[in-house]
Parts: sequence; structure tokens; C-alpha cells
Amino acid sequence: MKLTLRALGLSAFGLLAATTSALASECIAPANPGGGWDFTCRQVARIMQETGAIGDTMQVTNMAGGGGGVAYTHVVAERGTDAGLIVAASSATTTRLAQNAFAGMDASQVRWLGTIGGDPGVIVVAKDSPFQNINDLINAVKADPSAVSFAGGSAVGGFDHLKVLMLLDRAGFSDAKAVKYIGLDGGADAITQTVGGFTQAMTGDMSEIQGFIKSGDVRALAVLSDARVAGFDDIPTAKEQGVDLTAMNWRGLYVPKDISEDDYNKWAAALTKVAESDAWKTVMAENGLAPYTLIGPDFQGFVDQNIAEIHEISKEIGIIQ
Amino acid sequence: MAADRYFGLFMLVTALGYILNATTIQDSFITDPVGPRVFPYIIGGAIVLSAIAMIVKPDPDAEWPGLSILVQLAIALAVLLGYAFLIKPLGFIATTVLASGILAYQISHRPFASALTGVGLGVGLFVLFRFVLGLSLQGLPQMFIS
Amino acid sequence: MDLLANLALGFGQALTPYTLLLALIGCVVGTLVGALPGLGPSNGVALLIPITFSLGFDAMEALVLLTSVYYGCMYGGRISSILLNIPGDEPAMMTCLDGYPMAKQGKASDALAISGVASFVGSFLATVGLMLVAPLLARVAFKFGPAEYFALYLLAFCTLGGLGSNNQAKSAMAAAIGLAIAMVGLDKGTNMPRFTFGNLHLYDGIDFLVAIVGLFAVVEIFLFIESHGRNSAIGVKLEKITVDFKLIWSTRMSMLRGTFLGFIAGILPGAGASLGSFLAYMFEKSVAKDKATFGKGNPKGVAAPEAGNNAAAGGALIPMLTLGVPGSGTTAVMLALLLTLNITPGPLLFTERPEIVWGLIASLFIANIMLLVMNVPMVKVFVHVLSVPGFILLPGVTMVAFVGIYSLSGSSFDMLLMVGFGAMGYVFRKLDIPTVPVILGILLGNSMEDNLRRAMTLSDGDWTYLFSSPIAIGLWIFAIAGFVAPIFLRTFLKPPAHAEAADQD
Repeated sequence: MKLTLRALGLSAFGLLAATTSALASECIAPANPGGGWDFTCRQVARIMQETGAIGDTMQVTNMAGGGGGVAYTHVVAERGTDAGLIVAASSATTTRLAQNAFAGMDASQVRWLGTIGGDPGVIVVAKDSPFQNINDLINAVKADPSAVSFAGGSAVGGFDHLKVLMLLDRAGFSDAKAVKYIGLDGGADAITQTVGGFTQAMTGDMSEIQGFIKSGDVRALAVLSDARVAGFDDIPTAKEQGVDLTAMNWRGLYVPKDISEDDYNKWAAALTKVAESDAWKTVMAENGLAPYTLIGPDFQGFVDQNIAEIHEISKEIGIIQ
Repeated sequence: MAADRYFGLFMLVTALGYILNATTIQDSFITDPVGPRVFPYIIGGAIVLSAIAMIVKPDPDAEWPGLSILVQLAIALAVLLGYAFLIKPLGFIATTVLASGILAYQISHRPFASALTGVGLGVGLFVLFRFVLGLSLQGLPQMFIS
Repeated sequence: MDLLANLALGFGQALTPYTLLLALIGCVVGTLVGALPGLGPSNGVALLIPITFSLGFDAMEALVLLTSVYYGCMYGGRISSILLNIPGDEPAMMTCLDGYPMAKQGKASDALAISGVASFVGSFLATVGLMLVAPLLARVAFKFGPAEYFALYLLAFCTLGGLGSNNQAKSAMAAAIGLAIAMVGLDKGTNMPRFTFGNLHLYDGIDFLVAIVGLFAVVEIFLFIESHGRNSAIGVKLEKITVDFKLIWSTRMSMLRGTFLGFIAGILPGAGASLGSFLAYMFEKSVAKDKATFGKGNPKGVAAPEAGNNAAAGGALIPMLTLGVPGSGTTAVMLALLLTLNITPGPLLFTERPEIVWGLIASLFIANIMLLVMNVPMVKVFVHVLSVPGFILLPGVTMVAFVGIYSLSGSSFDMLLMVGFGAMGYVFRKLDIPTVPVILGILLGNSMEDNLRRAMTLSDGDWTYLFSSPIAIGLWIFAIAGFVAPIFLRTFLKPPAHAEAADQD
């Protein structure tokens, strides 16, 4: 086999040699392809290369597991000084950190680089659902919690689950244990279950649902943002309907803790370039993302505050003691 | 006969340990009607049943190797385990030369050809993985790099 | 004709001399990566994605290159299955069962040729299916909820009794061990660790690749040392190295049946290619008149799973493209590829980006035909692997396996686990316990449990929910029939006691 392999290998050599000459920088998406983190990494990698924000190529690595915990452990334990590494993060990351779900690690063990967009939460139902607005849904849960089940792309206690619980909590229903929620492997999976009628409603981020909203398979009852989202102007916010809740899933990145100040600034500059690029603006519009840019020290403060908030809410609802 | 029975007995004990361990799995605050323990119980039960079946109705024994072969197999196992431990500190090339050399000798009993195989595989595979397939593989011992 | 116009659009995009060259390179790289145990399509495509940027490919060129790699891997996986009894990727594990015995009898070239053609038939027909009825078939996924998936997995386990070993308890034991291993790690429902013994490496569970490489590749070196290579295909005198088209033609129905089942499994996001090839093999065995020769080198046992595996890989593109749901690890890689090219799969993809969809379909056809043309004559090259002396080949394969596992996580822990699985596999071989169910258990265990628990959440703990839909009931009936039938058949037919222990795995 070796001989065959050599022969085959050599013929591919010419092409492949091109990549290995420069050591590429890397973006770790702490989940399988298709989700939000993967999206962040792939878009940022593409735009950084296209705009020349970084000199070399950027490789995207999918490191799934533990709701991002595997990648977090990996970066903290083994890549602490790797200046060529960025890692995708989002509200899901801070949710896990706030609930102490990363095996005792906390947010101070990496450096938070920035966020370049926000993905508003959406509550949708199948197109033939009897629920016409968010209050129909909430009242149905209040009347009989076991009659309404929710699907979401995150595990129990994750950000999608939290959105449901927060929504009901704000509307005056606080028995979190009674709410039926099943966690699936990603938003698209959760939509499939809802369209199929196995669950009555689904929560997720705008970017993962927008295709199904446009195609008419699902109907959005509410978007969890301060104002209606451009391109989806007919979807009312939860606020308009009397439930004061915004849940924005920010899309951002962190870097290893012990890289030099110079390297950190270099990444911050590159990310700023991405945020300001037309390519990114197009991507945001296509995917229902709202502009949401915070880079560098500002973002560090935001993350700390975000974690404190989620910790408070999780405690209040009863997900953590 | 005997081998199936020993294995069945071993799995029976293992499965009981598994079920015992499963009883210690904790619930979190919110949990589903089934919970994290039921499925492991079912699996443990399935192992217990099949273990009992193997004890009650064993198949005829296969031919087990003699002592000298068992020693050879133990050496091979040790080489593979050693490989897993040494690849990081010693780098890919040296460990591969060593491990594949020993394994080749165990198979062929020809020292020179085995040494050559070891060197060929160590260098050849490194070139294949590092330069052709582009995996980030560390070739040399750690101390030379840092 | 809409269809022809669309196809013309696709081929117009995807067919240029330059893209043909890219397809050729992709097929070669894909076959190579697919054939190496432990390295799979994810490595292959992940490797090439940055190149598409650095060389400035446009979307179509990138698509052609990467689909060729994707399908190349599917073709390549069978090569090491047949020649070395080591599956190059997980769906190819079923091809070992009859492919390797054929190689031992000196019929490696026949096995390679049949599986090459079967791969082509499976993926070609799946691509046709994708072209004709994709949006319609995507709706099938909506019919499968937690109860249906649970019943589907159960069906797979219940048919295990007919596999390999004469002793049903041993198949059940192997499957249960696989399931037990799958439970290791953080529980998704509660986020609590299970069977991790405080070891952080185990929090994320045990990767099935570690198990497959251990149980298949590492074990070969032990067996070779023990038997001094007497019981191996390596060094076997090759009967003839011609391609026997008559023999290939005789397996045509097996290929078609395998394609059908594989395609169905592919369409269901929760099933995937491994289940597709598994069901194809088990079904083929159950309808065959010469059941007894399955596992001992029956050409049909090569044709069916290989067609099933490739048809599933093609079928899995349907939920991926129309719903954005990656059904398996390999389609997840394709999804990543499309996202990289700024193409978001979903219900609107077919109407909004027809040039991409039809370009993709065209490039699938191109890759397929190129792989067929490459693979049938190449059989003659591949079989010469067996004339490489065992003392070079086996250490080499073992080292490749180590690197594949090392590249997963970069930790020694996975490699130690892999060696552990190798030792376990040796004992299993000796005791005539099949190893395929172990892998199946590891692959499906978590999904099976998740779906059971989801079903119970939805029904508030009412177990009758599991039989509440016609699809679920149908699957349960098949499952029970599949479990009971071999017991009855065995009682009535009394197979020759303990035929050929060492051959079955």
C-alpha cells in the first residue's frame, strides 16, 4: 500500500504544497459544521482573507463537544500562547460560563476579542399552528404546560432553553420545571421537529430560521429584539406584544489569554476591518443578523456584565442553585 | 467451552459494576421523565442477559496461542502503548522508526529488513502526512524544538 | 424540459477543462484519504478548504474539487476494507464482512471491481434521485420524530442477530457493549458526567473512530503476529487480475436493493451512511438464497453495502441542501463547505440559487463518472498492495492509524484507548464475538437514548407514545420480526455448528 500511496500522494503534491508553505492561522468553531459558531468562523476567515486583514490563510477547525467546553479547555490548557488562534463564541458560551458548565473554568481564562453582529432570538410555530401571536402561546402554556412543547437547538439549560423560560417568566409563568423543552442538535433539526408537528413551538436565532420563515414552513410569533429586524419587518417584537424581553445572541470571538498585547491589537484591528467591510454587511443582511459591534476592552466589560446577568437569571429561574 | 464462560462471568461482573456506577449519576435541577440513569440500566441489563446466555450455552473454544506467542503479543501491546506515550516527547519520526521496526521484526524475524522498514516508514509517513496531507505533525523530539 | 435546461445550466457551470483537472485531483486525494484508516472525508475536505481560498477558486471550481474529494473518500474507504480488513471510514465497515474473505481467497480484484461498480451505481442513482425529487423527499424528514427514530435504531439492533456469529447472545453482547461505551461522557439532558471517573478526556465521550481503528486496524497486527500471517490476505496468491464483468452483472439486483435502502437511510437526517450500508447488508442477507455463504466471501455481500453506503451519502445531501440538517459526519463536511462558499442551504436554496444546486449536481455526476473510470482499471494497481510484505504493510497501517487518531485531539489518551480497543478486539475475535455491533452501538447509542428521552418528555412519560404513529408501529413490527425470525429459522434449519470461527467478525 505504501508504494501506491506514495504514487498517489506525489501526484497531489504540487497542489497541496501551496498551503503548507505558510503556517496558516486558525479559527476554532467549538461545534460541528452548520451552527452559529461554525458560521462565525467561516465568514470571518473568508472575509479576513479577502480583505487582506491577515497576511496568510485561515483554517477553520471544528472542535465539537460539551457545548463549547471541549474547545475552551483545549485553548486554556494547550494553546494559551498561540497568537495565530481565534475561537468563535456567542451568548451560548457566556451562558455556559455563567452556569459554571465548563468544568470549573471561568471567563477570565481567555481574552475576549469582540463581537461583530447580533442574532436576535425568534419564537416560531408551524404554519398551520393555532397560535397567532406570542400571547396565544403564553396563555396556552399557562392553561396547561404539558400541552405545549418547545424545541430548540441547544441542550437543556442552554441559551435556546433559557429564551423560553425567560419569556414565560416575564409573562408571569415561573414554574420552569413544568415547561416542556427538548434540545436537538442545532436549530435546523429543531425546526424539522416543529414543522413535523412533534413540538408546538421552537426557539432559535434568526439566522438559522430565516430560510424557513421565508419559505413559509414556519410562522414567527415574535422576535426578541428591541426593534423589528430589517428584512423581516412584518415580525412583531415581543416587547410590542407586551412581553418585555430581548435576547440577542451576539456573534463574536475570543483569543488565548497569554498572547502579547501587540498580537491582541492585531486581531482587534483585523476584526474591526471585518466589521466595517461590505462583505460582512451583505452577510448580515442575508442572514437576519443585526449590527452589533464591540471590539477590544469594551467587549471584555460587556462579557463580564453578560455573564453576571445570565447567572442572575439562571438562579432566578432555578437552573442553577 | 471455558473461554466463553470466563468471558461471560467477566462481563456479568462488569455489567453489575456498570449498573452500580449508573446509580451514582446525578440529576440536575431540571430533568426529563426518563432521566440519565434509565438507559444505562437497560444496557446493563442487556449485558447481564447475554452474559448469562454465554455462561449457560458456551460455544466450543477457539485455538488459543501458546505461551511464546502470548509473550510476543504482550510485547506488541507494550510497543503500541509506548508509542502513544512517546510520540509527544520524542516526536513522530523517532517513535515511528522504533515502533514499526520492532513490530516488523516480530513479524518477519529479519533484523536488517525490519530496521530498514522502520526507517522507511518513519521518514516516509512523516513526509506523507506533513508535506503531502498537511497535518501538523511534530517530527523531531520536543527538546530540539524549544 | 425544465430538467434538461437545468442540467445544461449545471454542466455549463461545472464542465470546463480546468474543472475536469480539479475533479481528477480531488478524486485522487479523496481516494487516498478515504483509504487511510482513521482519516476520513472530514480530513480531506478540511484540508482542501483553505486551498480554495489561497488559489482563488470561484464557487464552482471549489465545489467541483471538494465534491470529488467527498465522493473519492466514499470510494476509497472500501479499498482498505477489502484488502486489509480495515475500514477506511465507518460506512465501509460492512464491506469488510465479505470483501476481506474474498481477498483471502485470492479474489481481491473481483471484490474491488464489484464494490467500485456498486459505489458508482449507488451514488449515481442517488444523484439522480436528488435531481428529480429532492424537495419532495425532504418532506420525509418531517415524518420522523423522536418515537420514529427510536424505533428505527431499534430495528437496526434487532436485525443484528442475523449477523456473522452463530450465537445470537454474542451479537447482543457486542451491541450492548457498544451502547454502554456510548454512554460515557457528559449527559446531554442534564449536563452531568456519566462513567467518566473524573477523567476530563472522557467528558466528551469516546470517539467512534478510536473504536473502529482499534477494533479493526490494531487487531490485525495482533492476529498477524499470532498466526505468522497464515490467516491473512497479505501475500495470498492472486488468482487473476482481470475484471470479471459477468460476475459484476450477476450482483446487479443486490446493488439496486442496496441503493434503495441506503438512499432511504440517507434521506433521514438521523440515520446516515453507516446505518444505510448496515441495513443494505442485512436485507441482502435476509433475501439471499445462499445465506450461509455471507460472511465468507459472497460477492453480493460486497455489492449491497457498498451501493448502500454511497447511495446514503448521496441521499444525505437532500436534507442537508433542503433543510440545512447534516445527517452524518460526512454531510456535515459538505455543509461546512457550502457555508464557506457563502451558500446557506435551506428550503429556499433550490429556488434562490439554482445555479449552485445544479452546478453541484453536475459536479457530483462528473466526480462519479471520473471515479468509476479511475477505479475499475486501478483495481489492478490496488491489489498489488497485497504483494507488499506483511512486515512492512502492517506496521505501516498501524502507524497511519495512530496518526489519524492523534490528529483527532492531539492527545495520547485517545491513542491509548485505541490500543485498548485493539486488545479487546483480539479477545473478541478469539471468542467469535462480532465487532460490527460494537461500532453500531457506539455510533447510534447517544441518538437512541436522546430520542427515547425526547419522546418521553413530549409524552410526559407515557411509554405508549413510542407506538403512536403508523411509521413507528411499522418499524416496531419489522424490528420484532427481524429479532424473532433468526431464532425460529435457527430452530428449524439447524445450521452447521460452528463453521468457521476465525473468519467471522
